[in-house]
Amino acid sequence: MITLFLRCKTNRQLSALLLLCLLLGSSLSISAQTTTPTTGLRDNAPTYHALTNARIVTAPGKEIPKGVILLKAGIIKAVGEKIEIPADARVWDYSGRTIYPGLIESYSHLGIAKPDPKAEKGPEHTLAHWNPFVLAARNVLENFQPKEKDISALRAKGYTSALVVPRQGIFRGSSALVSLGKTIGKAQIINPEAAQHISFRKGISQSGYPNSLMGSIALIRQILLDAQWYQSAQAAYRQNPTQPAPAADEALLALQGVINNKIPVIFEVATENNLLRALTIAREFNLSINVKGSGREYFHIAALPHPQLNTLILPTDFPDKLALDTPESSLDLSLLQLQHWEQAPTNPAKIAAAGVPFALTKPDFAKELPRAKTAGLTEKDALAALTTTPAKMLGVDNILGSIAVGKRAHLLVSDKGLFEKGREILDVWVDGERFQIKDQTALDVSGKWQASLNFPNASHSLALSFSGKAAKTKGKIVRDSLEIPLKNFSNTLNQIRFSTSGDSLGHPGTVGLSATVIDGKMTGIGDLPDGQTFTWTATWEAAPEAAEKEEHSEEEKVDKTPGNYMGIGAYFQRGTPEQPAGVLVKNATIWTSGPQGTLENADIHIVKGKIAAVGQSLSGGKNDLVIDAAGKHITPGLIDAHSHAAVDGSVNEGGQAVSAEVRIRDVIDQFDIAMYRQLAGGLTVINILHGSANPIGGQNAVLKLRWGADAEGLLLKEAPEGIKFALGENVKQSNWGDNFTTRYPQTRMGVQQIIRDRFKAAREYQDHWTKFSSQKKKRGVIPPRRDLELEALLEILNGERFIHCHSYRQDEILMLVRVAEEFGFRIATFQHVLEGYKVADELATHNFGASTFSDWWAYKFEVFDAIPHNGALMHHAGVNVSFNSDSNELSRRMNTEAAKAVKYGGVSPADALKFVTINPAQQLGIDQHTGSLEVGKDADFAIWNGPPLSTYSSCEQTWIEGRKYFDIADDREMQAAVIAERARIIEKYRKTATSGGKGKMPAKRAKIHHSHHWHDDDE
Amino acid sequence: MNKRTYILQFLAIYWVLIAFSLQASNQVPAPPQDHPIALTGGTIYTVSGETIENGTILFEDGKITAIGTTVDLPEGTEVIDISGKRVYPSLIDANTVLGLVEVASVRATRDYSETGDITPEAHAGTAFNPDSELLPVTRANGIALAMSVPTGGLISGTSALMMLDGWTWEEMALKTPAGLHVRWPSMVPPKKPSKETPRYLKNIEKIKTTFAQARAYAAAAKNASEQSTHESSARWEAMIPVVEGKIPVFVHANSIRQIQAAVSWAAAEKLKMILVGGYDAWRVTDLLKTYDIPVIITGTHKLPRRRWEAYNTPFSLPKKLHDAGVKFCIGGSGFAFSTAHTRNLPYHAATAAAHGLPAMEALKAVTLYPAEIIGAAERVGSLESGKDATLIVTNGDPLEIMTQIESVYIQGRKIDVSSRHTDLYEKYQEKYRQKNIPQQESE
Repeated sequence: MITLFLRCKTNRQLSALLLLCLLLGSSLSISAQTTTPTTGLRDNAPTYHALTNARIVTAPGKEIPKGVILLKAGIIKAVGEKIEIPADARVWDYSGRTIYPGLIESYSHLGIAKPDPKAEKGPEHTLAHWNPFVLAARNVLENFQPKEKDISALRAKGYTSALVVPRQGIFRGSSALVSLGKTIGKAQIINPEAAQHISFRKGISQSGYPNSLMGSIALIRQILLDAQWYQSAQAAYRQNPTQPAPAADEALLALQGVINNKIPVIFEVATENNLLRALTIAREFNLSINVKGSGREYFHIAALPHPQLNTLILPTDFPDKLALDTPESSLDLSLLQLQHWEQAPTNPAKIAAAGVPFALTKPDFAKELPRAKTAGLTEKDALAALTTTPAKMLGVDNILGSIAVGKRAHLLVSDKGLFEKGREILDVWVDGERFQIKDQTALDVSGKWQASLNFPNASHSLALSFSGKAAKTKGKIVRDSLEIPLKNFSNTLNQIRFSTSGDSLGHPGTVGLSATVIDGKMTGIGDLPDGQTFTWTATWEAAPEAAEKEEHSEEEKVDKTPGNYMGIGAYFQRGTPEQPAGVLVKNATIWTSGPQGTLENADIHIVKGKIAAVGQSLSGGKNDLVIDAAGKHITPGLIDAHSHAAVDGSVNEGGQAVSAEVRIRDVIDQFDIAMYRQLAGGLTVINILHGSANPIGGQNAVLKLRWGADAEGLLLKEAPEGIKFALGENVKQSNWGDNFTTRYPQTRMGVQQIIRDRFKAAREYQDHWTKFSSQKKKRGVIPPRRDLELEALLEILNGERFIHCHSYRQDEILMLVRVAEEFGFRIATFQHVLEGYKVADELATHNFGASTFSDWWAYKFEVFDAIPHNGALMHHAGVNVSFNSDSNELSRRMNTEAAKAVKYGGVSPADALKFVTINPAQQLGIDQHTGSLEVGKDADFAIWNGPPLSTYSSCEQTWIEGRKYFDIADDREMQAAVIAERARIIEKYRKTATSGGKGKMPAKRAKIHHSHHWHDDDE
Repeated sequence: MNKRTYILQFLAIYWVLIAFSLQASNQVPAPPQDHPIALTGGTIYTVSGETIENGTILFEDGKITAIGTTVDLPEGTEVIDISGKRVYPSLIDANTVLGLVEVASVRATRDYSETGDITPEAHAGTAFNPDSELLPVTRANGIALAMSVPTGGLISGTSALMMLDGWTWEEMALKTPAGLHVRWPSMVPPKKPSKETPRYLKNIEKIKTTFAQARAYAAAAKNASEQSTHESSARWEAMIPVVEGKIPVFVHANSIRQIQAAVSWAAAEKLKMILVGGYDAWRVTDLLKTYDIPVIITGTHKLPRRRWEAYNTPFSLPKKLHDAGVKFCIGGSGFAFSTAHTRNLPYHAATAAAHGLPAMEALKAVTLYPAEIIGAAERVGSLESGKDATLIVTNGDPLEIMTQIESVYIQGRKIDVSSRHTDLYEKYQEKYRQKNIPQQESE
C-alpha cells in the first residue's frame, strides 16, 4: 500500500496526493473513496454510530457532562447534550465513561528502522544531494514499515494518530502524519508531507562533513541560502533559458516550502543550548519553526517566548533514578544532574507559564505526568499538548485534535478522567472504527456476599468479601475471625474465578472455584485438592466498607520545598554581577602593563566600569566602594589568545580541509565551568579558536569571561572577526594513522597550495559578484550563489578578518609569510610558532604577532626544536609576543607562565607580564578596551595576594568592566552552598524514591573534553 | 571521543624515522669526583634539619662529609664561593617516563608500555636512554633524580630511580628495581545493569591471581629440589622480590573506589603499598593512615575531575593530606606526553603552597619525601653527612619560576647544565648577531 508514496518522487506529485487526502478527509456524506479495485465481496458494514450517555471532553477545558456523539463513515456528524439518535445508528452506551479527542503522538519513529551503525556509507537515496546528510527530498514513507504490535501499543495508550519522523540526516526529509487504524494503508495517511525535519546531528555515526556541531550549523545555513538562490536562479532561467541552466537539485527544490514558510519545520535538538541555536538560524532566515526539545528548555526560560518559535515538542522522560547507593557513588553525580532530577518535571509547566505552545511526546501517564502535574502542569495544558496543539502545529486542526462536527472520528474512552490515578482507557476510536483496549465485561462484585459451599461431606456457610473492580478485584473468605485470601482472581464475561486454601475448610491444599454472576447471585462449581467436585452459591448482602485510605498519594510524597540555591549547576549564577557606580582600590602594587609602568602603594579608581584614574593617593566619590589592597598586587585581567573553552561539540570541523564557513561563535556554551575556573586564575578574556585539523579552519570568537551571561553576552563584541589557519603535522594528518593518507594536503608543499588556491577562488568569487552587481538589467540573469566559505576568505583579503595560524616549523611560518605578501593580507598571530625564534626577523619586519607556549616541546616531531627561550628571543627581536595556554587547565595560571619569559631569556617582569595582558590584547585588536590599566579602558583587573609572577601567589578577585566576577571569599561560600544544595536534593531523593534497580538517571551534560594529549590530565 | 584516545588509537602506525635527528645529546657526562669540593658562603637548605646561613657544605668521593658554619677543609679542597646563593638537595620526580620516551607522538621513540596486561618482567632501567635530549633539559632545572616508571596494562613492570647523568643506564641507576607498578582498574560501574561480571572485577581478579601465582612460584623456587615441577618464567621470576617484600608495590589509583579497593587488596596481601595518583585520597585519609600508605601525588596542575568540586581541588590536595597527617610527596603525571615538561615539577609544589601547604613542606614534597617514599632516603633527599652529594646551587627558591639553577652536582660530579635548548638558543642568537639585528632590551 505504501508503494504509491515510494513512487511519488516529486514534490508536485506528493502535494497533489496531500490535497487529495485532505479532500477525502473532509468529505462528509459518503464513505472514503478509493482507487483500489475491490477483490471479492464489497464490505459495506454500517458505519453509523451513536456514543451515548458519556461525559464528553470536546477540547481542552470544554466538556459536556452527559452527551452524545454521532459518527458516520469515520467523521463526527454531531456532538451535544441532546442529539436525536438516528434509527440506523448502532448505539454504544458509555454511561459513566469519559470521551476525549484521540491523542496525537507528535514525534515518533513508528515503523522506521534504526540506522545500522555498521553501515559503510551514509543513507543512500537516488536523489542524493552532494552532501549525504542533506535528505530534504526524502519522504519518511519510503522506509515506513510499521508493525501491528507497535500500532496497537500506541492505541492502547490512547493515541489515534502519530507523526512518523525520519531518523537520519541534517535535513532529514518529510515526516508523515498517520492514523493508527488496524492496518496502515493509504487511507490511514492523514498527511504524507507533514513537516520538514532538521537536526544538528546526523543520526548516524558517519565520518564526512559535517562532523561537528558548528559544521552542522554552517551546513544548514549554507543549504538554506542555496535554497533561496535556487529559487531566484530557476526564476531567472525560466525568464531567459538561453543561459546555462542551474543544475536541478531535488533537495533544494524540496526546501522551497521551508524558506517560504509553507510547510511546518521541526528542528530536533538534543541539548538546551541547541534550542537557542535553532532559533538563531530561524531568525536569520525569517522562519517560523517548531522545536523538538531536550527536556532542559527550562535552562533558557528567559529566552521564551521567542518570535521564531511556533511550538515546542517536549520529551517527558524525566529522570527518576539517582545512583546514590553509597557515599562514593553520589560524588560522581554533578549538581546539574541532581538538579535535573528535581527540575525536569517542572519543564512543561514552565514552558506553559512562558506562553509557548507545546506538545508532549510519549508521556507516561502513571509516572511522568503526575510529576509534571505536581510541578504545576494543568490538565488542560496537558490535554492540549496531546491534542489541539500538535494538530495546530501540523496544520490539521481542522480535522483532528478535538471533538467537533466534521472532524475525523478520533476518540478515546476512559473510565474516568484521563489524568486521574488508576484510570483505564477502555476504547479507542480511529476514523470511526472502534478498538477495544480493555475488556469491559468484567462485573463489579465488590461488597459482602453470603456463600454456601456444598462440599461432598459437609456444607460450609461463610462470607465472601470482594474489593476493587474488574481485573483488579481482590477478595477473601471471612469465617468467624479467620480471613483466607482468594488468589488467581479472574473476572470476565460475567464469570468470576479464583482459588483459595482449603486448609481450614477440612481439605488441605488448593480449592478452585468459579461462578456465573447474574443479578446479585453467584451460581458456581468448584474442585477440591483430591479431585472431588462441589457446587456453591452466593448472594449479595452489603456494599463494601469505605475503602481504606490509600497510603500517601504520589503528590503528597513529593517535597515541594524549592532549594535556596539559585544557580544552574555549581558556581553558576545567571545574570550580571552588580556594577558599583564607583570603585576605589587603594594601596596596592599596580602593574599597569601601560605607560605608567608598575606603581607601588598606588590606587586605581573606577567609574561606571571604566578606569578613571591610576596613581598615588587618589580620592574617589562619596559613595564609592573602597577596597583596601595593602600588600596586594593588581594586574590587568589576563588574556589567553589560544583557548578551546566554552565550546559545545567538537572544536574541529574535520570533514573538509577548508572550513572557513564554520563559526565558534555559533557553539558557545555559556555553562562551561572552565570559564569560572579561569576567572579564579585572574583571566578575563579568551580567544576561542577552531582546532588545527584544517589548513583553513573555522572562525574564532573572543569572549570576556562574563560568567552568568548568555552566549551573546559573553562575546567581546568589539573584537575584530578572526579565523584559524593551521600548518604542519596536524593538517597533513601525520599522526592520525594509516587511514588518513589521502586527504589533500599530505605535505607542507600541498598546504601552501591549498591555501593559495582558496584565496584565488575568493578573489574570483568577488569578481563574479562585482560583475553581477554592475549589470544594469538583472532580470533574467542568474545571480552568483552566496558561498559562506569564500566570503570569510574574502574578508581576510579585505582586511576585515584576522588570521590566527597554528604553526611550528620555521619553513612553514615563512611560507605563510610569503603567501601573505602575495595576497596582501596581514597575519594577526602565528599561534604556537615554536620555531618563531628562528625567523623572528621576518615576523618583526611584517609586524605579525606571535602567540606561543612558554616552554612546551617534544610532544610531536615538529616541536623537537622548540625552546623555552622562544618568547624572549622573539620579544628581543621586536615581535609582539604573547603566551597562551591551549588548555583549560593552564589558562588558570597564565601569570606564572609569564614568569618563564623572565627565567628563559631575561625579559623583565613587567614586560613578561605583558605577554599575558596588553600583548595578546594588541594581537586580538582589543587593546583599545582592555589589556592594560589605563584611563578610559574597561576596568578589567585581578587582585593577587603577592607578586603576580610568583608561583606562591594566588588570585583573590577578578573584575570585568567594574563588576566582580570572582572573589576567593565568595567562592568559599559557594563551595558550601553547592555542598548544601547537593545534600538537600540527595535527601529529598532518598525520601521520595520508590524504584530500586530500574529507572532513568539524569544524563551528564554532553561535554567533550578538549584536552590536548600532551597535557597532564588523567581522564 | 577523547582526543588522547583518538590520537593513541591512530598512533599505532609505522613511523619513517630515517631522517630522524634524534641522536645523542651534546652534553658530556661528568667524571667521578676526584677531589674534595666545598661550597662556602651560601645558605644551605638541608631540608631534613636546620637551614644554615653563610654555611659550608663539603663533599668527597661523591658523599657529603660535612655541613656547618665552620667546617675543616681537607687539603686539596676546591673551595667555591657561593655567597648570596642557596644550596638544596636535588629535586626528585617520583613518577615519570623519562628515558623511555623521546617524542611521545612518534611510536619508534616509545618504550614505556609493554604489550599485555601482566608484564612484571618489564624493567624501566633496561630501556632507559642515557642520551635522551630530555635528561639535560630536566636536570638543568634542578631535577637530577627521577623515577622512571613503565605504564600500561594492569601490572606494568618495575621502576628505576635514576640519576640524570652518566654514560650508561647502569651507572645512572640509584635504586633498581625500585618497585612494582600496579595500575588499578577504573571502577566505574557499568551504565546498564548486566548479569556479566563487570570488567573491572575481572581485572581485579587478574591482579589477585597474578600475586597468588607469583607466591606459588616463589615458594617453589625457594624449595627447589631435583624434582621441581616448575619450568622457569620471566614473569614470575620478576615477581619474587615483590612477594618477598623486598620491593614495594606502587598502586596507581585516583578515584575513591579504586583507592578503597586497592588498600583492602594490599592489606590482605600484606604488601607494602604506595598509592600513586590519589586524587580522592583526602576523602579517605583515615584509611591511608590506618594502613600506613604514603601517596605520590601526580602533580597539582590538574582540573577538578567533578564539575561541582572546588576550582582548586587538585591544588589543595597536598595541604589536605598534610593536615590529616598522611605521608605524601609530589611527583609528575607519569604520562608520556608530559615527560618533556618534567622540569616544571617544582612549580606543582609551589602551587600547593599557594593553596595552603606550608612552604617548607612543599620543598620537602619534592626532595626528602619522595626519597623516603621510594626508599632512597639514606642516599638522597636531604643534605646530611653520609648522603650522596647530589645537590643544586641556585640564586633563589627553586620553587619560584624566576629562580635560576646555577649548578647541579650528582654524587659530587659537576654536571653540564646546558641542553638542546640552550644550544639552540645560542645558535639563533648568533643568527641575529650575524644579521646585525639589534636585540631590544627590556624595560
